[in-house]
Amino acid sequence: MRNIFERVKQWNTLTRIWHLYDAKWQDPFDSAKVIQKYLKGLHKPIYHPLADCGDHVVVINCKEIAMRGDEWRKRAYFHHTGYAGGGTYTLAWELHDKNPLMIMKKAVYRSMKGNLQRRYTMERLHLYAEENVPQDIIENISSVIPQLRDVPMRLDRMPEDQVKGYPKIWDLPKDYVVR
Amino acid sequence: MTSRLSALPVLFVRLQRPCPLVQNRGFKRWLRPTLQTLKKRKERMDPEPLPRRSSFTDWNYKSELFAFGKRLGEDLNLDVLRTAVTTREFVLNEIDQQKAVGIEIDIQMNDNSKMILEGSEIINNYSLNFLRSAFPKLPEEGVIAVQTYLTCEENLSTLAKNLGVADLMLTPEHPVEAVTLSNGFKALVAAISESSGIERANLFVRDFVMTQLVGKNINELWEVNDPLNLLSSILQRDGKQPFEPRIVAETGRNTILANYQVGLYVNKELIGLGCGESIKIATEVAARDALRELFDTTESMKPVNFDVESLPQTFANFSIQDWSSKNVEKLMKSSR
Repeated sequence: MRNIFERVKQWNTLTRIWHLYDAKWQDPFDSAKVIQKYLKGLHKPIYHPLADCGDHVVVINCKEIAMRGDEWRKRAYFHHTGYAGGGTYTLAWELHDKNPLMIMKKAVYRSMKGNLQRRYTMERLHLYAEENVPQDIIENISSVIPQLRDVPMRLDRMPEDQVKGYPKIWDLPKDYVVR
Repeated sequence: MTSRLSALPVLFVRLQRPCPLVQNRGFKRWLRPTLQTLKKRKERMDPEPLPRRSSFTDWNYKSELFAFGKRLGEDLNLDVLRTAVTTREFVLNEIDQQKAVGIEIDIQMNDNSKMILEGSEIINNYSLNFLRSAFPKLPEEGVIAVQTYLTCEENLSTLAKNLGVADLMLTPEHPVEAVTLSNGFKALVAAISESSGIERANLFVRDFVMTQLVGKNINELWEVNDPLNLLSSILQRDGKQPFEPRIVAETGRNTILANYQVGLYVNKELIGLGCGESIKIATEVAARDALRELFDTTESMKPVNFDVESLPQTFANFSIQDWSSKNVEKLMKSSR
């Protein structure tokens, strides 16, 4: 390929984009379905299972994922050491206490078909418990995956003057005793 | 050859005692080893030389010449065509052979050395004219690079071979070399010009030489050496502000697969966009992109129009040194 235009066009087409995903208050299993598409490159028009066109995804705030209903208490993660009697069931809240990245990691891992490519695809997933990501990783990022649900503002974390300044349409009666 | 064959071990041939001629049905167990041995013997020998078409018994040179002209759709003078395909070496060879036999030299054969020059001139003139009118904004250096590519020995010899000139060439060498073939093509153009006029020869050049441009990328045939300096000097000549490179997009800055997109801006207006694995390369590509935009050789340019009957005699395009969009527009207006 002599022409420089053709060379950089190929470089540009097959470049790996770095995406950022904020997992705060997001369902890890629904998020995993979205994230795995970016990891495999399914969102690209050039996608082919044999083409190495997957992107990187940096997931932040893995510690603050949200689970539905009783999931934290009911969901159990099974692990077997391989020795007799070595099987253990760990509840989701327990696992999350031990390693805040593990639920997200397992969710993405299980969202993909078990083939030879899965472990290499997982290498492109970068998980962080909080918002503090190393500077050299942040510099790579050039795109943001939108969150599945907007994070609502919490009343107890709102600035006090904003709460007080909010127009009231109703107030407690003056003789009402707040217990 | 015979000694080599007889030295081969004869493994599978067994002498049988003479038996009466009786039809024997059954499995032909001798067939496979026999064919194998024959194939091995053939493989060990040198490859067979390519036969000359003229050595075949059905070869009639005169009718072949006539048919060749008709196949091209041209009304060719057969004597002129015969001269066009006769090489100097062939004539000298004939003279030598006659001398060796002892015949007095009275050969009246003409060779194509003069016609090669004529044809070459016709091809060069027409292709330059054609390229200048097809790419009025391309600098003269680019026009000459494209023309050199179209009329190079390799391409002309391929054309001649595909037209079937190789079989007709009167030359001692076999198979016919590329130089001889390309010379034969040039002489053929001269022959057409001599038989049916220069207009007809020009159309022939258009149909066979110029149409090689179909599907070709002009930027591949001609590359600018120092695009950044060239672009800034062109902007200066046009009286515009110097360009300002800016990063439009980037990803994977700290990885070996980093990619940058750089845009060149003049007066907050994008004039070229390039990408690459480093900022330096991306800037250079952006400059090349801006240049191809100026020279009108973008990827989305219209295909070259070959449907032109006659071309005006054009002047040389502007050279890179004094190329500017103002000059080029003036030139294009005056030529219309």
